[in-house]
Amino acid sequence: MPYLARRVGQALVVLALAFTVTFVLLQALPGDAILIKFESPELGLSPEQIADIRASYGADVPAWQQYLHTVSGFLVGDFGYSVQYGTPVHELLAAALPETLALAGLGFLVAVLIAVSVAFLSTLAPFAWLRQALRSLPGVFVSVPVFWLGIVLIQVFSFQLKLVPVIGADPVQSLILPVLTLAIPISAPLAQVLARSIDDVALSPFVAVVRAKGAGPARVLWRDVARNALLPTITIAGVLIGELIGGAVVTETVFGRAGVGRLTEQAVANQDVAVLQAIVILAAVVFVVVNLAVDLVYPVLDPRLKRKAVAA
Amino acid sequence: MSTPRTFRRLAVTAAAALAAVSLLASCATQTTATDAATGGDPVEGGTLTYLEHQPHTTLYPPQAGFYPNGGIVNNITARLTWQDPESLEIEPWVATEWTVNADATEYTFELRDHVTFSDGTVVDAAAVAKNFDTYGLGNTELGLTVSEAINNYASSEVVDADTVTFRFSAPAPGFLQATSTINSGLLSPETLDRKLEEFGAGSSTEIVGSGAFVVTEEEIGTSLRLEARDDYDWAPPSFEHQGRAYLDAIDLVVAPEDSVRIGSLLAGQADVIRYVQAFDEAQVSGAGFEIIAAPTRGVNNSIGLRFTNPLLSDLKVRQALVHGVDAQEVVDTIFTENYPVATSQLASTAAGYTDESEALAFDPELSEELLDEAGWQVGADGVREKNGERLSLTVYEAKPQPLSKQTLELVSQQLAKIGVELNVKAADAGSYAADILDPLKTPLYHSMVGRADNDVIKSQYFTKNRNTLLSNDAKLDELLTAVASEPDASKRDEASAAVQDYLTEQAYVIPLFEEPQVYGAAPYVHGFATEAVARPQFYDTWLDEK
Amino acid sequence: MSATAVETRPSSSAPQFATDGRRRLRGIRPGLVLAWLVIAVVLAWAVVPWLFTGQDPISGVPAEKLQAPSLAHLFGTDAIGRDLFTRVVYGAVHSLSGALVAVTVGLVVGTLLGVLAGSLGGVVDAIVMRIVDVLLSIPGLLLALSIIILLGFGTVNAAIAVGVGSIAAFARLSRSEVVRVRQSDYVEAAFGSGARLHTVLFRHVLPNSLTAVIGLAALQFGAAILAISTLGFLGYGAPPPTPEWGLLIAEGRNYVATSWWLTVLPGLVVVAVVLSANRISHALGRNR
Repeated sequence: MPYLARRVGQALVVLALAFTVTFVLLQALPGDAILIKFESPELGLSPEQIADIRASYGADVPAWQQYLHTVSGFLVGDFGYSVQYGTPVHELLAAALPETLALAGLGFLVAVLIAVSVAFLSTLAPFAWLRQALRSLPGVFVSVPVFWLGIVLIQVFSFQLKLVPVIGADPVQSLILPVLTLAIPISAPLAQVLARSIDDVALSPFVAVVRAKGAGPARVLWRDVARNALLPTITIAGVLIGELIGGAVVTETVFGRAGVGRLTEQAVANQDVAVLQAIVILAAVVFVVVNLAVDLVYPVLDPRLKRKAVAA
Repeated sequence: MSTPRTFRRLAVTAAAALAAVSLLASCATQTTATDAATGGDPVEGGTLTYLEHQPHTTLYPPQAGFYPNGGIVNNITARLTWQDPESLEIEPWVATEWTVNADATEYTFELRDHVTFSDGTVVDAAAVAKNFDTYGLGNTELGLTVSEAINNYASSEVVDADTVTFRFSAPAPGFLQATSTINSGLLSPETLDRKLEEFGAGSSTEIVGSGAFVVTEEEIGTSLRLEARDDYDWAPPSFEHQGRAYLDAIDLVVAPEDSVRIGSLLAGQADVIRYVQAFDEAQVSGAGFEIIAAPTRGVNNSIGLRFTNPLLSDLKVRQALVHGVDAQEVVDTIFTENYPVATSQLASTAAGYTDESEALAFDPELSEELLDEAGWQVGADGVREKNGERLSLTVYEAKPQPLSKQTLELVSQQLAKIGVELNVKAADAGSYAADILDPLKTPLYHSMVGRADNDVIKSQYFTKNRNTLLSNDAKLDELLTAVASEPDASKRDEASAAVQDYLTEQAYVIPLFEEPQVYGAAPYVHGFATEAVARPQFYDTWLDEK
Repeated sequence: MSATAVETRPSSSAPQFATDGRRRLRGIRPGLVLAWLVIAVVLAWAVVPWLFTGQDPISGVPAEKLQAPSLAHLFGTDAIGRDLFTRVVYGAVHSLSGALVAVTVGLVVGTLLGVLAGSLGGVVDAIVMRIVDVLLSIPGLLLALSIIILLGFGTVNAAIAVGVGSIAAFARLSRSEVVRVRQSDYVEAAFGSGARLHTVLFRHVLPNSLTAVIGLAALQFGAAILAISTLGFLGYGAPPPTPEWGLLIAEGRNYVATSWWLTVLPGLVVVAVVLSANRISHALGRNR
């Protein structure tokens, strides 16, 4: 499979570049993790003590040596230590990853649910003004900052209506509001893709025929739209990964959840390079795998592309 | 051998011991505890949910000054002595009695029996000696730092299993009080073999302390569970309550969003929260909840004027700035009555305080005169100029200070009226950490520090401690050294007063207000208290029927 | 919205390029007129803010803090007594120029990369698209925050950080447009009649691929305002006392239970502007 081999090769190049770019970028930032954590006046450490700490983290050698050291560590699966927490990076990630996977996975599912409901209701709703209002919902969904949405949801559903606690909730309860916060903005592009597919189907001569034969609009829509919308939805899914991660940072900060998003934000603030390198590799792997998968699945679903791939 | 468990206050021959027992009558008018009396008899059991503002960073006691750290260390460690938060007197705790020599260079403590660490090992003289050797000298190999509360520490001597002596290279009158602070929390000798990193987040359950609670669960950066030790039976003898803590456990949850902490408290999802912002106080008390504003008894929330910056090297300019800031307006606008306007560099509840309010008074006309005299003329844009240079200064928003940004913005408005431009900058942690060490980049520095001992002023301004002024003033250092080494209590207060007089005379500091730690508690929470500098104390806390 | 949000916009915008057939026939679209009106008012705020308010956005009256909206203070006042409406009006220039800078960075750099890749093909295409992949694979927020830390805090720097995050989206879209146009019959014909590459590129390919890109730019405009607001929430916004909108919303959130207007009213202004930008974006995209 030369095609697959080439794609995997490209993916590896992207991984290596992402790793290196991040390293260079982080080295260029003013100050470093050790300065931030240990040189604050409150601690009163002597310059010698700070030099010792620096040496113990291997941060006293030139950047290129640190780079080689980090790369060789990563190649054997050693991600190093977090300066901020004083904990091995793999432990931090192992603790944070399940939280974020649950949040992002459920967030994506709920986003699809919202998108489907909005798209179908905006076609099937009884009044023109209602349809129009539903049509503009996705636009509103993407006009609201995620953090703001989260805070308002907490205020209304947790503090005013007291439906779900945010503190001291069981694991399922504690996911409800964060998942909604993450899902609502992400549902917008999906809803728009679906709405467009509905339009295409509705305008096609085929539907006029089916309808003339007496099939209800809902049944027609469901069958044909689902088929039509699958491809663009999968395409978007590849790109939505980025949005899910970005949304997770904000959601986890608002709700005080310990996930990869919050870890990223805190690691940037504290310039915890080892943690960030690991996160970048993780994110880049997810990115290339998802995109690779999308590219491989595409020809299977779309006969036209299949022919092209064969021809090429 | 001492007589264990019988508290016998020694007639301390040297006045030294009294040094730290501040002679100042406590003038605290603020509430420092939820009412334990009105709720009837204490009930044992239950889990309390406590919301923190930020995640803790380490449990190494000398670095527990950061409030999220201190809140945990205070509850998982016992100390040699206990400082009464109201009277500021030093009382026995793990030490039953002590003696101090005349020049405060030698302290001997007798230890209580049957005190254990949470792993079951005994708190004996050797363990205590190891604690103070670590806190007093540091351990470079392990990266463990010297406690800023301990000065001139030389060595320890284990006299017998219950007796330990500490020696100092110079008078250390602040040491007795230092043994009561969270920075001197007693940890097991094994725990003290850990590297500094191994005190960090993620290893909290492995820290073996001597207090009424122990950390049993941790989710990094999010939550901790503290459980009561059933075998705890060494509360300070002056406490009415003895034996184990009333609560079974404390769930400590980090909730950085102000609105989430307040909302959770009012909605009954949390029981006690730290860091109630001034603008939320009315909402909390209005709903029938309790506000506990505990004074931090140290150097006031203030703006240091770094006189090594050329613009601030002129005394008249500094005086103009001091008289150009209306601290009363800052408090009236942004804060509440729980934030008393500063009347000195030290809080009026701090040890060694002296009133400087007259010499620091707000007087913008005087400021303008002083600036005129110094040759700064109002330029076209309203900002004063001299030899083509604008009187433009920079201050960084200080994230640890409450509402620092709003405070500095208002100060900037006030200074604009006397023709001084104050740029309030925000920065990432890296740039901030680097820039605050440079008087050219950070001519003004917003900070405070709490500790209920005369030494506190030295911590803030001494060149080898926090050195918040980035000082090169040998006279100031000399005055500060006197505070930390004067064995006689009243002379020590005089030394503190001399420092305050000097800071005022040199116009090195713009004091703003006496910073409290503000907690919110649900009505059914009783006996919630704070130690001398406002760290939460859950030992006496109990929950009524909700 | 995080900076990563930016990447999905092209796909999300595409579907609406061809909406409801009936509305297209009507000629005048009230929604679109309203959208342009909103943008016009906001632009006027940015250019001549003093025509809209007589108060000072930086210095307030401390005694009048946290007042609810009234005739004297349309949007109420903030924690140190500044008139919020005045701050929103004077903030327009910061927010709009911020969004503009963000879009420009993404548009110029992204389109340049995309057009290069699309028209030259081969090795250049492969290299450029790998760079784009790298940009997409590094979490957008990490990239944005690092850039701000590197450049220092400020509206323009935050805008550049957001703009860098959208380079990949512009590059991908412009590349695919260029490839599409290149394969079209008339461009083939132009090559066939002996025209040189750059002539074909500037005469035929660019004009025909730009409409979609401009549609994306209008959409990005709204997304950039949100992204800058999110940076403010995370503590990386403009330094005080800049009345930038995103920062107003981010800071007003602390008062949401007691002084709702501090976050809700600037929030509504942003919603109006973002919705208008999206509406205009669809209209522009539809014209291709």
